[in-house]
Amino acid sequence: MAAPLPDRYTRSMDFRTKLLSTLKAVQSVLNVPGVMVIGSEVPNLLQPDAASTLVVSQDVDIGVPVARINDVKAALSEVTELEPSEEEPSVWLPLNPELIEVNFVGMDPENHDATHAFVVEDAELPLLVFGALSLLRQGAILDIEDLNVPVPRLAGLLLEKLLTERVAEKGARDLLVVVGLLTVMRAADLEEIEEEYADLPKELRYAIRSNLTVLSLMQGVDGMPDPQTCRTRVATLLRQLEELEVDGT
Amino acid sequence: MRESLQQRAQRVRSRAAVRAWEYRQRKHSKGVWFRLRRVLADAESAFAIGCSEVKRLEEEGYRTEPVGAEIEPPKMLLFIPATRLEQIPQKRRLRIALDAEFFAAPCVALVRFRAGSL
Repeated sequence: MAAPLPDRYTRSMDFRTKLLSTLKAVQSVLNVPGVMVIGSEVPNLLQPDAASTLVVSQDVDIGVPVARINDVKAALSEVTELEPSEEEPSVWLPLNPELIEVNFVGMDPENHDATHAFVVEDAELPLLVFGALSLLRQGAILDIEDLNVPVPRLAGLLLEKLLTERVAEKGARDLLVVVGLLTVMRAADLEEIEEEYADLPKELRYAIRSNLTVLSLMQGVDGMPDPQTCRTRVATLLRQLEELEVDGT
Repeated sequence: MRESLQQRAQRVRSRAAVRAWEYRQRKHSKGVWFRLRRVLADAESAFAIGCSEVKRLEEEGYRTEPVGAEIEPPKMLLFIPATRLEQIPQKRRLRIALDAEFFAAPCVALVRFRAGSL
C-alpha cells in the first residue's frame, strides 16, 4: 500500500528546508556584494506566512551583477554540494536530493533599458542578463537560521514581477508572487514603487498597470495565494500609479 | 555561444516589441480589454440588473462607463453607491471576472472600493 501523501504544511516545510539548505550550500556566492536571491521564494524568505501556499518550482534564482562575475566564479569554487549542468552551466544541479537547483541570472544595474536582454558569454558561467532585473536594488540581508540571505528591496521586485510576460504558468505565478509581496509591503515601499515606476518608459508603465488589472481579476487557484484577498490593495496601487501619469495614458 | 541562452534573450527582446505594440494600441480597439479590466479592478462587487434599472439610474445622474459600448454586444456598466444598490430589488451577484456569466449580463451595476491605502 502506498504511503499517504504528506499534507500541504509538511510539503511546504520540506521545500523551505531544501531551500535553506541550498542557500547554505551557496553561501560563499551570496556573500559576494550585489548578489541576491531574486525569485519567487523571496516572499517566503521575508515572511514564511506571506507565501506559505505559493507553489514554486524546485529551484532558486540568484541574481549576479555582471560586474561581479569573476568574484562569483571564485566563490563557486567553494561550492561542493552542487555542480554546473553540462548542457547549461548557468544552472547548478544538486548532488544530493536534500537540495534544489540553483539558477544564476545576470543583472546589470548600469543598463537602464528594462526591455533589453543579452547573454554574457563565459565558459564557466554564461549569464542571461534580463534588463528588467536592473529594477532590483539591494535590500535586506536576512538572517535566517545562521544564513545571511541578501534579497532585493520590495518595490523593485514587485515592479519586476509585474513586467512578467502574461502567458502560461510562469506569468500567472509571477503575478501571484506579487500577491505575496503585497501582503508584506508597507507604506514606505509604496513611495519607493512610485519613484521607480515614474522613471520607467511609458510602455513599461502601461504593462505594469495592465498586469495589475489582470491580477485584480485572477481567480484563486488551488495551492496558490488567493489574489482576491488583495484586490483592495491592487485598486489602491493602480490609482496611485495613475496619478503619476501626467498625460493620463 | 550558448544557443539556448541566446534564444531566450531573443524571446525577451521580442516580448519588448510586442509590449511596445500593445502600448501603441492602448487607445484603439485592442486596448479595450485593458480598459474593461481597469473598470472592474475598481469594483468591489458586481451585480446583474435589469436594463430598465440602468435607465432609471442614468436619469438619477449615474453615468455608464464608455468601455461598455466598445464591446459587442455592448454592455451597460455603471458604478453606484452600495446604498443605492440596496434599493434595487432584482439583482444577481456576479463574480468580478471576465467570464461567461459576466459577458452574458447586458446591464451590470458596480460598487466601487472605498478609498484606502496600502
